[in-house]
Amino acid sequence: MEKEIKKILIANRGVPAVRIMHTCRDLMIPTTAVYSTPDRLAQHVLMADTAVHIGEAPPVESYLNMDKLIDAAICTGSDAVHPGWGFLAENHLFAQKVIDAGLTWIGPSPKVIEMMGDKIRAKQIAKKAHIPTVPGIDNVQNADDILKWMKKDDVSFPIMLKASAGGGGKGMVKVEKADHLSQAFAQTQSEAKKAFGDSTILAEKYIERGRHIEVQVVADTYGNVIHLFERECTLQRRNQKIIEEAPSPTLDSGLRQEICFTAVRLMREIGYSTAGTVEFIFDINTRKFYFLEVNTRLQVEHGITELMTGLDIVSIMIDVARGKVLPFEQDQIVPNRWALEVRLNAEDPKNFSPSFGTITRMQIPDGPGVRIANGVYEGADIPPYYDSLFMLLMTAGPDREDAIKTMDRALSKNLRVEGVKTLAPLLLSIIRHPLFISGDFSTRFIEEHMAELISMFKEKNSEDEALKIARYVAEISALGPQKWM
Amino acid sequence: MKKTILIKPNTPAKEIVSQVRSAEGVFITSTGMRDAGQSDFKNRHRIHDLLLLAPFYNNMGLFSSECHGGARWHVGVMNRKEDPFEEIDMLRELMPNVLLQTLIRETNLFGYRPYPKNVIEHVVSRVDIDVWRCFSFLNDVRNMRTVAEAVMKRGRLFEPAISFTQADWTTNSYYLGLVQEMVSLCGGTDEIILCIKDMAGVGSPSRISSLVDAIKQKYPEILVQYHRHSTDGLAMPALLAAAKSGAKILDAQEDTFTRFYGQAPVLGLIAYLEESGITVNIDKDYVDASVQKVREWISQYEWAESPFKGYDYNVTKHRMPGGAFPSSFEQAEQGGFLHLMPAILTVMSLYNRIVKYFDVTPGSQITWVTCSGIVNRYDKERGKAGVRHIIELLTKFVEEKAQRIDKMDKSEQEELKMLFRNAPGDFKNLIMGGYGKLPMGWPDEWVYESAFGDEWKEKIKERKDESPLESVPHDDLSALRSEFADLIGRSPSDEEFILYLMHPKDAVELLAFREKYGDAPLHLPTNVWREGLNNPGDKVEFELWGKPYCIELVSKGAEHEGLIHVVMKVNNKTRVYTVETPRARKAEIRMAKAASDIGAPINGSVWRIGNPERGALKAGDIVHKGEEIANLEAMKMENAIAAPFDGQIVEVCVKLNDTVQEGQLLFVIEKV
Repeated sequence: MEKEIKKILIANRGVPAVRIMHTCRDLMIPTTAVYSTPDRLAQHVLMADTAVHIGEAPPVESYLNMDKLIDAAICTGSDAVHPGWGFLAENHLFAQKVIDAGLTWIGPSPKVIEMMGDKIRAKQIAKKAHIPTVPGIDNVQNADDILKWMKKDDVSFPIMLKASAGGGGKGMVKVEKADHLSQAFAQTQSEAKKAFGDSTILAEKYIERGRHIEVQVVADTYGNVIHLFERECTLQRRNQKIIEEAPSPTLDSGLRQEICFTAVRLMREIGYSTAGTVEFIFDINTRKFYFLEVNTRLQVEHGITELMTGLDIVSIMIDVARGKVLPFEQDQIVPNRWALEVRLNAEDPKNFSPSFGTITRMQIPDGPGVRIANGVYEGADIPPYYDSLFMLLMTAGPDREDAIKTMDRALSKNLRVEGVKTLAPLLLSIIRHPLFISGDFSTRFIEEHMAELISMFKEKNSEDEALKIARYVAEISALGPQKWM
Repeated sequence: MKKTILIKPNTPAKEIVSQVRSAEGVFITSTGMRDAGQSDFKNRHRIHDLLLLAPFYNNMGLFSSECHGGARWHVGVMNRKEDPFEEIDMLRELMPNVLLQTLIRETNLFGYRPYPKNVIEHVVSRVDIDVWRCFSFLNDVRNMRTVAEAVMKRGRLFEPAISFTQADWTTNSYYLGLVQEMVSLCGGTDEIILCIKDMAGVGSPSRISSLVDAIKQKYPEILVQYHRHSTDGLAMPALLAAAKSGAKILDAQEDTFTRFYGQAPVLGLIAYLEESGITVNIDKDYVDASVQKVREWISQYEWAESPFKGYDYNVTKHRMPGGAFPSSFEQAEQGGFLHLMPAILTVMSLYNRIVKYFDVTPGSQITWVTCSGIVNRYDKERGKAGVRHIIELLTKFVEEKAQRIDKMDKSEQEELKMLFRNAPGDFKNLIMGGYGKLPMGWPDEWVYESAFGDEWKEKIKERKDESPLESVPHDDLSALRSEFADLIGRSPSDEEFILYLMHPKDAVELLAFREKYGDAPLHLPTNVWREGLNNPGDKVEFELWGKPYCIELVSKGAEHEGLIHVVMKVNNKTRVYTVETPRARKAEIRMAKAASDIGAPINGSVWRIGNPERGALKAGDIVHKGEEIANLEAMKMENAIAAPFDGQIVEVCVKLNDTVQEGQLLFVIEKV
């Protein structure tokens, strides 16, 4: 049954909120933004049709505050809620509250979110559906449980501890040896509790030199499940992706078919609807893939799938929420481009230490083959309370080499961000690295090559150099002749 | 008209010498790019302006352009924020026909401490200079060996210099002894030039004539260059006297640079020489063009001129060199004791007779710091009467009693034996032989008693008679290089490393400055470099990497809470710069420094002090190595801070939920 959506509240901020608002504008649907105190003048607020203040800076008081979000929707006449990614996107209680308040939830059903949100249960379901899974142990109570399991199943270090309720790289700790186990266990528990409100932990074998490959799926509420092919998200730092591409340079067409249909099979099995992702780890040595988890939400890197297929995934989500049938079939999805994405985080590229502050200058890349998903504007603040991601740079070309060349241009010649440090120099070093170019990398690539990548940073251009001179002129103009002269 | 001879770089040393020998008349070395600026403008002449002279120099027929070394190197690094290596590159490009000349100290090179042999070899073999004028403030020729060998091995021209002064002990035979040592060090007279370095400008025409004559009689083939400052007002006749006696190269500078303490004005000198029948290998049109060019920009350096104007014939007594003279006045002005300068100069002239060496770097600095220290001490303790008293005491000792301390009264003896107690370490190092042997032998024993007190006898036993080249142990260059790399966070180039070897702190600061402000020192005109843009609409245009740039001032705000906003258009795009004034209220952030200080590893917020097992920690609590003592959150990631050792918390320096920056002090923990 189709229903109308008159106005959408986006229960998010920054890049995801802005991204969703773009599609809402395309669909002529007005939007409501929500904001915490430091976000009062943020880009997503300025872009929305109406905006509601929902609390102070700490996320629990604002972007995680379910009641305030629902109140905001009701009092602004918004009849649907899109959660974006992060914050409450995978919180089934919130989804349920939205539905109970008579609003449309733009996402999968609370039941599916809950089922897949519990990593232990998700894995059991996958096993039952004969989908290969990584050896592991669920619901660990203490470090000893892990040691016993490792002995019993003949698993050796390294292993990975994860928050059962986790995702997005948070609440994940890799353990190299037994000595570190107990502290790592405590840290995972605490992070899990803080980030997801649930301290249940699972442990898994860590697949060395693994590749991280995920399949984008869209489904309607009538049982139609279609995949939009895969993305490769192997390049990570601290378990958070920073470069993604579609398609994966790792898979041949046989494996591609197999992994994509495996994903579809699982999603059909669990009765999934709207956009979602099935994540796999691919063991390059055995050429086997294992199920990791289902992300029951829009993902950061969905844009490269859009570039590759020409579809608008957010628009599909809204249509599915309106009760529409998917307007295409599997064989109509024909990817014809190679797309690459880098995440521009406000971080020191040498050590990933966060760099918050005011963006004093911002020049956004343009030219053919470039797509930008931006959460800020020149003059905006990046507050210290939230995610450091503030811009996604995507490029596309007929093949991988072209996509990389265009990304090189965007990063090295077009982009300028001043006021905060960004990962741009590191991202540029990575895409210029011969191993990246040849497609030969694992999830540990960045940690293994960090010193080399840093040594590739030093590239000057005349514009930067001229601005340094201008900074000098400004200071001396203000302060007059200096003692040291 | 006769064609001007151009002596070009890469000519073998021997050929340069024979070219000059066989040419008629004399050659000129222009000091316009180095000593002119050092003597009267505190070395502030920027390469941006000096480069304007290079096209004229390129065709002028100079013997060489002294454009490098002396204090220009250090002031470049420290004040002008220029790198001496980039200066050479720029000059080479614009004047490929001209020999580039440096002034180097034998064991101190372009710095101040005696360097070990391996550092000297490392540096000299990597600096692209054609003519190496090398002096010793002690005239200790032994000290020149390493530089001489490194220069001659490269096929470059070595120019040993005798430090000249006019005193009762600096006789022709004293100097001939030095020349003999130099000639034997360099294996003859065919590949060197001998310099008489009259750095204070005190040689009377007849004294110089006699010295050059004596040298030429003993070594008829030797090429002599006379370098002379103008301080006493007698430069021109002295230069003519030198030329008449056989000096082949004379130092001069653009007339428009001429103030009081640098070299003679070149156009005047040429006219004077020619009128006296001595031809000069130079194209006067280019000289004139260069002299006029200086006029276009020299007025921008008025601020750098000495506060002490005018010639000073008293230089023949205090003998402070042209280069150091204005800068000592500047130091006196900054230190608030300008009024003591006459007394200090008098004390210097007396001190010169007690401890005998040459007042040129680093000797001039030792003399200056020692004597100004003595006068300041008397002034502070006893006022004007005290200053008068010490001058009288020293005058009596030197002039009446011929430095016989036993002839002084008991109380005067006691006072003299305290004279050097607070002297600088460099003075003590000097009389201990740290720089080499003193030209007239070691000072009297009372000087040691005065400097070292009860330990003086042991100190005399420890005194070294060998050259520092023999006694200074080699530096570990690769260790120094990695220490430098740690300081700047990257691996340095060969040139940057040499800057570090000479002046470690200043080199690090220069690199930080250039990292922040780029090539501002090279591209900005001097008025903008010094004062910025002042009125709305003022602009500065320059080219960078072949592309045009324009910076225009739109407005300058008033100071508010320590900040000034400057609005400028950079290539038409408006930009706002927030500039912190020195009065900016800076929140006192304590940083972790000592080993007992625990600093934040990242920027973040403190969400837990202590750990879940023990709860919060406070001062007095005992912590164990590896125990989590705090946790920082940044962008939703936790970062445990572990105690680095067993200890007791002395202070918790942050509060819960404080936002801290990298390196900020979190705890002070005392080891137990």
